[in-house]
Amino acid sequence: MEHFLLLVTKPDNVPIVAIVLLLPFFTWLAFSQGRRNDLAGTPAEAALNDKVYCWPYLCRNEFLCAIITMLVLGIWSITIDAPLEEPSDPTITPNPSKAPWYFLALQEMLVYFDPWIAGVVLPGLIIAGLIAIPYIDINPKGKGYYTLKERPFALITFCFGFFVLWIVLMVVGTFLRGPGWNFFAPWKEWDPHKIVPLTNVNLSYLFGIRNEQPAGIFGMCIVVGYFALGPIYYFLKRGTSKFLQELGLVRYIVVSFLFLTMMSLPIKMILRWTLNIKYIWVSPWFNI
Amino acid sequence: MLSRRSFFKFLGWGNFLAAAGLAFGPGLIRFLYPRVLFEPSSVFKAGFPGEYPPGTVSEKFKKNPYGVWIVRKEDGEFYALVAICTHLGCTPRWFSSENKFKCPCHGSGFDREGMHFEGPAPRPLERVQITLAEDGQLLIDKSVKFLEERGDWGKPGSSLRI
Amino acid sequence: MNERRNGLKEKITNNQIWQSMFRHGYEKTGRRYTLQVLQNVWLHLHPPRVTRHAINFRFTWCMGGITFLMFLVTAVTGVLLMFYYRPTAEYAFRDIQYLEFDIPFGMLLRNMHRWAAHGMVIAVMLHMFRVFLTGSYKKPREFNWGVGVILLLVTFFLSFTGYLLPWDQLAFWAVTVGTNMARATPVLGHEGPFAPQDIVTQANDVRFALLGGTIVGPSTLLRFYILHCVAVPLLASVLMALHFWRVRKDGGISGPL
Repeated sequence: MEHFLLLVTKPDNVPIVAIVLLLPFFTWLAFSQGRRNDLAGTPAEAALNDKVYCWPYLCRNEFLCAIITMLVLGIWSITIDAPLEEPSDPTITPNPSKAPWYFLALQEMLVYFDPWIAGVVLPGLIIAGLIAIPYIDINPKGKGYYTLKERPFALITFCFGFFVLWIVLMVVGTFLRGPGWNFFAPWKEWDPHKIVPLTNVNLSYLFGIRNEQPAGIFGMCIVVGYFALGPIYYFLKRGTSKFLQELGLVRYIVVSFLFLTMMSLPIKMILRWTLNIKYIWVSPWFNI
Repeated sequence: MLSRRSFFKFLGWGNFLAAAGLAFGPGLIRFLYPRVLFEPSSVFKAGFPGEYPPGTVSEKFKKNPYGVWIVRKEDGEFYALVAICTHLGCTPRWFSSENKFKCPCHGSGFDREGMHFEGPAPRPLERVQITLAEDGQLLIDKSVKFLEERGDWGKPGSSLRI
Repeated sequence: MNERRNGLKEKITNNQIWQSMFRHGYEKTGRRYTLQVLQNVWLHLHPPRVTRHAINFRFTWCMGGITFLMFLVTAVTGVLLMFYYRPTAEYAFRDIQYLEFDIPFGMLLRNMHRWAAHGMVIAVMLHMFRVFLTGSYKKPREFNWGVGVILLLVTFFLSFTGYLLPWDQLAFWAVTVGTNMARATPVLGHEGPFAPQDIVTQANDVRFALLGGTIVGPSTLLRFYILHCVAVPLLASVLMALHFWRVRKDGGISGPL
């Protein structure tokens, strides 16, 4: 436990501690306002729709905010020194070696996916998906005020991605990953000689397929079938669902692809924890 | 029908975009790849074979700027393994008690031969050319690589028998 | 007393030099408040008037502003740090030590630079969170949301390139681990899927362009230094100008009406 406290108070981990404290507060702030707006029926912001002069009212607030921020930054900079370790040496890799804290969710993904997915494809899709959000979210409600019940799918999806797949993975990568990128509970010492039995198998192996080619075809069917779930649902439901008709095929395909890609990470994680699955699809060129 | 005015408009814009595209596309990209690199020489001498007892892994040339292990098998055969993990390029460590190379970054393990047997590494460690120099010293050339997955490990130069 | 104060104020403001710089008076009227914003290059980013909820901390969290403030702090402290820092493998680490131990306020400046950079990453994430929760990306603000996403990426990249500059073990290995992912880029990285063998190699793949070499070395340090101090801040400034301008042009800060 002492060791964990040392880790938490490490200078470079202060931002993560700050996030872990700030996020619940701001989430509460947003959700309580959303609930209040939902209960009242009209957003509280609508009552404050009269205009005020920027000078002095807005500029005063900005100035106040800047001063408080600089005060916090100043105290932070005086009390905690930026880390400087020994000079770089390409032949000695510290154990563990970690990327900067804001990339630790990506490094954590490397446990479950090969580098080309975890390090290149998924980050690219995160960026592309974020940019796509305004174009695929056709819900006209909830523009410019906090609300919970008017856009549940958007909120749940975004919060799941942000909290679970970004913040939690970042915290796990920082505080719970030790030497050899092994998992260490907070009360455990980091033991560089910890041996973790590696019993991971490929999904095809679990189904009794031992030959390379059938295994590849089997894996391809699983992956393609998984991503086909979206279009299949569309063609089954488009006759009856007004929402799907409004969304249209192109938008729907983008939404379902991004959503299924996002969910593939927790699915792979659960498969790894429960069934020790290494790869789902093994091919001569790449493994998924 | 393309009028003369619009023909010249397309020609003008086409020239402008092509010139700008060439300058900022291929031109800028090519600029990032210099013709000469000042990196440590890929060829170095690693002492006389007698300095390496059979059945050992030598970390003598793991240090900067060499970065290779020189391994001598029980039967006297030499080979040189590059000290770069094939997963994400960290430097693995040799644990003689456990008889394996272990990467600290993500826990990949390689046996004495360089074969990966645990962790996320997708392929074995790389071997580089090892020969005898004229003066009888071992001569390592890191620019010539031998990759197991391409079946290179049996090829001449991938190992040295004395 | 009051008369003397007014007399002094009169003396300072009622002359050609002062009035050449500040054209508006100081009376407490709406006209003056409007002129104050319109005639000041630093303030004219703002409209003369905003809706009342836009100045409400509970609504905005002020995170966009804090992000910009952190950018300014890193810019100022960064310029000062550049006085003593040389981006070469021989000097980089020693210059940081020199800064820390022998330069008055050097340690404080370095701390401020690093923590402001981390603060910027935190603030930009919270800003994005707020904008999403209030649905402020919806029409007509789609494009500006996209600019914001790119700015998030730029913020990460600024912070990441700066991470290497102390040239210590922490920096070296964080960047080695981070950039090694680029080896696995499909087609363009020498270890990525579908990369043609012996055509895409260590010396010509996409990672090389970032590192300026096949390993993280002196040329990487120089490349990251230039990216960190010149190229990316320029890009960030251009994008920020676009971002702020679009906030105005897309109807100001979002609201329910």
